[in-house]
Amino acid sequence: MIHFKIPLLSFIFITFIKCVSPQNDFFDEELMLKPLPSNHVYAYFQFTTVWETTKDATTFMKCVIKYKYSIIQHSHLFPRGLGEIISRHNVDELHLTLTKGLWHYQKWGYPYHDAGPGAEITTWFHKDVKNVDDEWKGLTNALAGLFCASLNFVNPANSISPEYTFRPTGVVDRSAGVVDSVNSSHLRYSSLPREIVCTENLTPFKKLLPCDSKKGLATLLNSAYIHNTNYHSIGIHFRVICSNTICTKTSLELRQSVSLIYDTVTDVSQDWSIRKFFGMGIRGACPLATLSNIYIDISSNNTNQIYELVPSPSAKIVSLRGGQLNEIAVYDIRSHSSKGIFNIQVLYNTTHTAGLNYPSILYANRYIIGYGQERGSLVTKIYNNYWQTLDIILLESIPWYLPRYLPGKERKSPYYLELILRLPPQSVTKFSIEMDYSFLKWQEYPPDANHGFYMGPAIITALLPIARNYTPLPLDGSTITSSFNASREGYLVQLRTESLLISLPTPDFSMPYNVICLACTAVALAFGPLHNISTKRLVLKRVEMDWKEKLLSFLMKKIVKSKKKQE
Amino acid sequence: MKKQWLSNFVLAGIIRFLLMNSEYQKVISDRVEVSTALNSWKRVTEGVYLYNCGIDPYTGDLFHETPIGLYVFNFIQQHLSQWILFCLFVFTDLLTAVFLGLTAKQYATELVSKQKVEEKLCNENKETHNDASIVYTSMMYVSAGYLFNPYIILNCVGHTTTVFTNLLYSIALVSMTRSIFWNCLSISLLTLQGLYPVSLIMPAIIYITHSNSINRKRNIINYVIVFASIITTLFGISYYIMGSWSFLWSTLGFILTVPDLRPNVGLYWYFFTEVFEHFRWLFIASFQINVSLLYIVPLALRLRHDPMLLAFSYLAVTAIFKSYPCIGDVGFYMSLLPLWKHLFQYTQQGFIVGCFISANANFYFGVTLAFAIAQIFLLTDILFASVKHEFAVRHGINKDISGNTAKLLLE
Repeated sequence: MIHFKIPLLSFIFITFIKCVSPQNDFFDEELMLKPLPSNHVYAYFQFTTVWETTKDATTFMKCVIKYKYSIIQHSHLFPRGLGEIISRHNVDELHLTLTKGLWHYQKWGYPYHDAGPGAEITTWFHKDVKNVDDEWKGLTNALAGLFCASLNFVNPANSISPEYTFRPTGVVDRSAGVVDSVNSSHLRYSSLPREIVCTENLTPFKKLLPCDSKKGLATLLNSAYIHNTNYHSIGIHFRVICSNTICTKTSLELRQSVSLIYDTVTDVSQDWSIRKFFGMGIRGACPLATLSNIYIDISSNNTNQIYELVPSPSAKIVSLRGGQLNEIAVYDIRSHSSKGIFNIQVLYNTTHTAGLNYPSILYANRYIIGYGQERGSLVTKIYNNYWQTLDIILLESIPWYLPRYLPGKERKSPYYLELILRLPPQSVTKFSIEMDYSFLKWQEYPPDANHGFYMGPAIITALLPIARNYTPLPLDGSTITSSFNASREGYLVQLRTESLLISLPTPDFSMPYNVICLACTAVALAFGPLHNISTKRLVLKRVEMDWKEKLLSFLMKKIVKSKKKQE
Repeated sequence: MKKQWLSNFVLAGIIRFLLMNSEYQKVISDRVEVSTALNSWKRVTEGVYLYNCGIDPYTGDLFHETPIGLYVFNFIQQHLSQWILFCLFVFTDLLTAVFLGLTAKQYATELVSKQKVEEKLCNENKETHNDASIVYTSMMYVSAGYLFNPYIILNCVGHTTTVFTNLLYSIALVSMTRSIFWNCLSISLLTLQGLYPVSLIMPAIIYITHSNSINRKRNIINYVIVFASIITTLFGISYYIMGSWSFLWSTLGFILTVPDLRPNVGLYWYFFTEVFEHFRWLFIASFQINVSLLYIVPLALRLRHDPMLLAFSYLAVTAIFKSYPCIGDVGFYMSLLPLWKHLFQYTQQGFIVGCFISANANFYFGVTLAFAIAQIFLLTDILFASVKHEFAVRHGINKDISGNTAKLLLE
């Protein structure tokens, strides 16, 4: 213990010095344009900030706590607002995506970052955090403010800590001596499928960039254009990475991503260009950026020249990755923009060509069956197109108001199920859960209750053996460049299925008073007679009649008598 | 006579078997009137499965049986095949009917002897009844009332655990005068499972005070000690099975705080769906006091001469006002109605009750409301009739005071 403490103290001392030392960070901006076989174009922006701090994550946090955010005060390229939130809540890793639309894995392949519809947030807290739920609440509220998103609706009732689906992608501190110090109790995942993503989320997102949206690729992010796409997703991905191969030094990595799918099928001409997609050309690189590149995947163009690029690219790269051969045209913005604003155009020679689609080897969809508002079934179908078995992890997360038959607690925590499955080759696996729709209290229904309730996606995690249609960066890479020629043993994907809209039975919101009155009447109907019976006694009482009743009974007697006489 | 008795049982068993093997079984067991969160067999199956997987079934929102129940059902599900399971449900129901018949026999005998004493007191020479036939019909009617009660048949076909609860109820009733141990055991098991039946110790104690033995006080203390020790032991066993007290929140807590708002035949579900959040606890408290505490003492004082009627009214009040009632509870106390054949001449609301029970409304809450009100009328009518009967036995049914007509009034 003793010889452990001394280096730690000196470490803090060193880190304090380092905290105020000059910056050693860099910023890269990249744009990948990938024409898809379905005649869509996938545009992926990535803004990477890597900040090399010569310490591990623990001391970073300690430095921050002891010296009152001294690091953050001296942040250079790393966004300070986000940095403060991350350090205050002791976050090791953070993934936040805001998405509109559904990614079609079958047609579009695998995106750089998988994201479910609406808002989705995954966080690993540092293992020293005592009360994870409190930090989680604080973090989501702070991020809600930072991104103008309704992340403040994240609470324990819609957060889960699955064991297998999420693993840390960054450096894990193993100093505690435990072999597997990854503990899902410090993980929180939540999805808010109802969240609508719009300009108010994009503006704060752009403000996190060193050049804001004034210079560089971020000038292309005009909300009028990017919210017109078939699919758009913005993401924040923060983690701690190694800055050298033996991992004695670590860096903080922040990747800000924007994924867009443009539809070129519906247009008269198939030609597309930067100006057509984003409304303007590129004015120049961000002066703070080390790397400022645009890549265009021209693999579909290499056999027969069906389109040409204007202007011609600075370089061409051939990338062979996991059996997938891609040819990529590279534009260095710095060299091209020296002459002013420039535009990249793709001009087709032929009128229309349908691309050849190699379907993705793993995809899934999910839907609800059943009728009525009493019960239904949730069906997830998983397709394996590969010629070998695939091992997957299926995470079904079911909101608390859709019980049951799984551990979970109404109003407290959602139900979730993690299944590890081995899919047979060339197969469709169907998985269904029976559900009872529950009845909520009338104040728990959202406005417009008959619209229904959204249910977040299921997540399917797999390590694919081949990289067909695969784009994500390798775990050890930070920039798009690192994904070229990056053959690995397996390729991690985390598919999201559809989010679902479920209509729950709704009470009559207009009649709480009636119901309260009627039910209380029923209780009173029992209470009154029982009270009478048990407190009073029976007595015979002579019936006192007033003159009307006397007259009546007199007449009645007469009639009865006369009748009797007649008989 | 024995033939008729036996044929009733055979017929009732066949009806249950046929329905269980028909396609209606699934429909019936899915009905909210039959299966509630507390008694559904589906939940038992899932809970037992989780238990076998090593997951505490009480962490979820699904299982609300007692740990002892869990243990028993685990045994049943692991060792009994589908057919034997069906047989078990039917057999339990028939056994309940036997116990109810025995209860009726005993009560009718009691009633006849009481009447004789009263007749001697009044020195009236009425026509002598055939005592044996009175006892026999009472027994016959009660058992038939249970065997052919549609509510009970549906309850049995729907495979609810209320079938077993009803067996315990019938044991509690039949052992009230016979065995302190069995009575205490059955009431404690019922209390552990449903909380409200704890009120049944009241009639049992009254029975003890009615007995002619010299040391009544000692008997009462004896009873209370036996009951307390059995229920403590049962809680201990439950704790031993689960290894924690978490089950208390999922069983008794679930009953008391009413978190499940799915429809049933009771008054709670829609009320607590619509009630303002601010007043929720006020109303939960007042509803629970209404069902469990409010009527115990007044009714016990009033009906101290007729503990069986007291037990019946406790059962009825519970079946009407409990938080998750089902038609199995309703059917149980309704099958006891033939015991009060001698009160029927004093009842006044038979027609209203009949109309209300068969009433239909376009709104489910309306139906349940009407059903509850019908039961309330039935109960109060029987109790009024009993009071009138008491009066009539003392003063005759004559309603004249020196030639003028008079009215019976509660004052």
